[in-house]
Amino acid sequence: MATARRLDPLPNTPFQYGPKVDFTFEGKPFSGFAGEPLALSLLAGGVRVFGRSIKYHRPRAPMCLHAHCSSCLMRVNGRPNVRTCDTPCVAGLSVERQTGWPGAGFDLLRAIDVVYPEELRHHELFTSSSALSRMATPYVRRMSGAGELPSGPPPLAFPVERQSVRVVVIGAGPAGLSAARRLSQSGEKAVLFEADALAGGRLLDGATRIEGDGDSTGWQRWKAWSDPATLPGIELLCRMPVVAIYPGRPPTVVAVGEDRARIVQPQRVILCTGSYDQLPLFGNNDLPGVMTPRALDRMVLGHGVLPAEPVALVGDSDETLRLSARLLERGVALAGVVTRRRDGPLVGALQDKKVPLVFDREVARARGGRWIHELELSPQRQREPDRLLDCALCVAEAPAAPAFELGHHAGCRVFFGSQGGYRIAIDDTGRTSRDDIFAAGHCAGAADVTTAIRAGERAAATCLESLAHTP
Amino acid sequence: MRDRADLVIVGGGVIGLSLAYHLARLGFSDVVVLEQGYLCFGASGRNGGGVRQQWSTEENVLLMKDAVRRYRRLSQECGYNIWFRQGGYLFLARDDASAATLEQNTKLQNRLGVPTRLISPAEARRIVPVLNLEGVRVCAYNPTDGVLFPFPVVWGMARIASDLGVEINTFTRVTNIDVRGRQIVKVVTDRGAIATRRVVNAAGAWSPQVARLAGVELPNKPYRHEILVSEPVKPFLDPLVSDLSNGTYFSQTMRGEICGGLSDPAEPSSMESGSSLRFLSRMSRSLMRLVPQLGSLKVLRQWAGYYDETPDGQPILGRVDAVDGFIQLNGFGGHGFMMAPAIGQLAAEWILRKAEHPIFSTCDLGRFARGEQRRETFSIG
Amino acid sequence: MPKTIVCRCEDVTEEDLKRAFERGFRDLESLRRFTGFGTGFCQGKSCLCHAARFLAAVKGGDDMVSDPPRTRPPLRPTPFAAFAGALPEADAGAEEKP
Ligand SMILES: Cc1cc2nc3c(=O)[nH]c(=O)nc-3n(C[C@H](O)[C@H](O)[C@H](O)COP(=O)(O)OP(=O)(O)OC[C@H]3O[C@@H](n4cnc5c(N)ncnc54)[C@H](O)[C@@H]3O)c2cc1C
Ligand code: FES
Repeated sequence: MATARRLDPLPNTPFQYGPKVDFTFEGKPFSGFAGEPLALSLLAGGVRVFGRSIKYHRPRAPMCLHAHCSSCLMRVNGRPNVRTCDTPCVAGLSVERQTGWPGAGFDLLRAIDVVYPEELRHHELFTSSSALSRMATPYVRRMSGAGELPSGPPPLAFPVERQSVRVVVIGAGPAGLSAARRLSQSGEKAVLFEADALAGGRLLDGATRIEGDGDSTGWQRWKAWSDPATLPGIELLCRMPVVAIYPGRPPTVVAVGEDRARIVQPQRVILCTGSYDQLPLFGNNDLPGVMTPRALDRMVLGHGVLPAEPVALVGDSDETLRLSARLLERGVALAGVVTRRRDGPLVGALQDKKVPLVFDREVARARGGRWIHELELSPQRQREPDRLLDCALCVAEAPAAPAFELGHHAGCRVFFGSQGGYRIAIDDTGRTSRDDIFAAGHCAGAADVTTAIRAGERAAATCLESLAHTP
Repeated sequence: MRDRADLVIVGGGVIGLSLAYHLARLGFSDVVVLEQGYLCFGASGRNGGGVRQQWSTEENVLLMKDAVRRYRRLSQECGYNIWFRQGGYLFLARDDASAATLEQNTKLQNRLGVPTRLISPAEARRIVPVLNLEGVRVCAYNPTDGVLFPFPVVWGMARIASDLGVEINTFTRVTNIDVRGRQIVKVVTDRGAIATRRVVNAAGAWSPQVARLAGVELPNKPYRHEILVSEPVKPFLDPLVSDLSNGTYFSQTMRGEICGGLSDPAEPSSMESGSSLRFLSRMSRSLMRLVPQLGSLKVLRQWAGYYDETPDGQPILGRVDAVDGFIQLNGFGGHGFMMAPAIGQLAAEWILRKAEHPIFSTCDLGRFARGEQRRETFSIG
Repeated sequence: MPKTIVCRCEDVTEEDLKRAFERGFRDLESLRRFTGFGTGFCQGKSCLCHAARFLAAVKGGDDMVSDPPRTRPPLRPTPFAAFAGALPEADAGAEEKP
């Protein structure tokens, strides 16, 4: 298995390295670049297993890199269960893995996974005798729970800033940025909350392309749009996720940063919360080294950290095919691309570069112990044999799930569709079932960045119109 | 769905199912349970799972002693582990009045065989080292109280009841109770009618609505009660801790989460079940006062359910004057879950006329008209 | 058979969903409570859609899937300290100051 490496930094990425800094990982000296996600400092330094799952003690390592899958949790500076993909690397951190016995890397409790190959019926354990159940309880208790209580000086209550502003936009991805631009152009004042360290969302992906009105890459658009000077009247707050909307009138929007909170009761809210990347369902889809295309995009194209190679890519979308090509350009070895797309320029380009393409197989399972080493591909038609694809990293694509939650908090109608999942219900103009809340982009079911950008602008226009009608 | 039954139970919460379970175990299973949602839709699927014997009346202490006995064997009886963990309940008193209450209750409980002890804050800290007990005068600790995981209790009772022949219909809403003269003739649902002469109202916070379908007015009122859980961490808290000064309670679940809530005197009666920032904020303050390092522990989820409250804090049990065969088992406020196995057994025996129990005459609906209310002074949350 | 993980936080497999369904946990909320998917750190962000899709498939259509379980705050795990100061002093009750 190839070891992790750092690629030469590119001059034009949105993510720029800070100076090299030192921290400790399980007591040993470690280093990373200031400001990069801690998970990447760890991967670059050769850490493979980040933790163990709660029930079967299966190994866990970053899967989404966008702070939603919880597969990268560690204890950081005495706080349990910190998402290392969402924690910037800074000098002096103390970082530890927290699950597993004797440790997360080598964990004897993994035996549970082997002993219960089918299912562990946790509701039915130890029910044969009450005495047995009482005896087992303290042990079961010690085994559950993740991490120890926080240590270190207890925190004070976060300072809370209350703000009155007419419009709040949640999420500074393609939809949110385009909504904010529209508001700004009309002279409206708004707060734009973003959870990530940088505004941009999917514009930050190296594989994003925007079609129509002057084709551009995501990064080009990001450069043009994310400069606060181009957004007069808009207060952009990064690393400030909105964690709740309480549904009164006006709604109460609560955003929480590292050590401060902000509460706003705006007249209008535009939800541009995007979506969560998913993995397809196949055997051992949780194996370390299996991740979403956008996770690898950010790791390699964005931050120049390659945890392992060769890389196998599984998916049919333009983004996944473009990601393959861009990885090649960066000198990353590809094990192959498993896709149902047989022709078109993106596929042709990969063929020209002699990338092994697998057209008629789907992933049956990933194999490996603590990290993936091969994919088992089964034929779509019977009779053909299974195939194994050696790889040290695998990205696999599945429909992203719209981030409908904040809309649901606020009482907006949501509905289910198999492509993706639950999404916020909107009309053609971006109105939700609440007349003071609008939604645009992936959270309302948009399929791509180009559509999301248009939807953001439209929702903002509808929002402005509705404000014009209120005194 | 059956079209007739000897007895229909409205409400698939812990009370309705405990009755069905105990009836079935006594050999009586011509029973249909009707639940408008899924099992655990009501308070039974939203509570903290606290089980205590520290009460202020003899009736409740004895009832809860019996309930604890039953909960200790329920996992084995019903095949689902309810993870009943007797880590104790630790009450904290900050003022003279609550200190006096604890002292008085402890005497009563000791007389009835519950091993509660009045202890100093220093001793309490030996039980829960992370507690900040500044300002606490005295504590009461009973090591045999505990917490359990509520859902399997309901599922388990449902499973055994239906194995024994009780029909349980979820997503079936009672829309009318047909009464001729003083006699019930049938229960109408959105999925058809069931002919029956006996109906049990175990509809929790909805019980006044259900009673009204039979022309009976109940004095119960629903109040939202909010609660939350934190991220799971390794065990550090054995007992459930309750601060009497503001009704905060919190315990650590088997999964390692901190689970708790607090009372809110400003909460109006309503069928509101949304979450509030007010609760989250007050609970965060209160927890940080009691265990300062919880400030950097993370909240995973807040939610809400209803307390089904009666004017005197005691449930409404047994017959009503106006309608024959209409039996009440409701009004359990914030403590119906813990009482359920004892109540279910007593009610089953009483319904089958196998045993009488004074609770069905002292806690009936008629007590309000007779002016015989007896207030339980030790309700929390 | 290797495990196919639907919920990484609580280790819920596709097989778990099937068996829970067979045992009568046939709506999303019951399925969630029985298997535990969506009750961990991510509160459903990487599993709810899989579970809902599973139900749509066994029940025969997207419209057979009900509204999602009520989404409750906070959207992501958030320290208690972030909320402790969220109410104006007067509302919170002075005695609860940490
Ligand atoms: C947040 C919270 C924390 C709590 N903590 C504790 C605790 O720690 N310990 C404790 O002992 N108790 C606690 N309680 C109280 C406890 O949960 C309740 O007392 C108990 O669950 C009541 O059970 P029940 O069966 O009476 O009501 P429910 O569980 O509410 O069941 C009533 C059922 O009736 C159904 N129903 C209503 N109307 C109809 C109709 N027309 N047709 C069909 N079905 C209908 C409802 O859907 C509901 O499922 C708590 C409650 C809450 C809300
Ligand atoms: S939450 Fe960090 S990798 Fe998904």
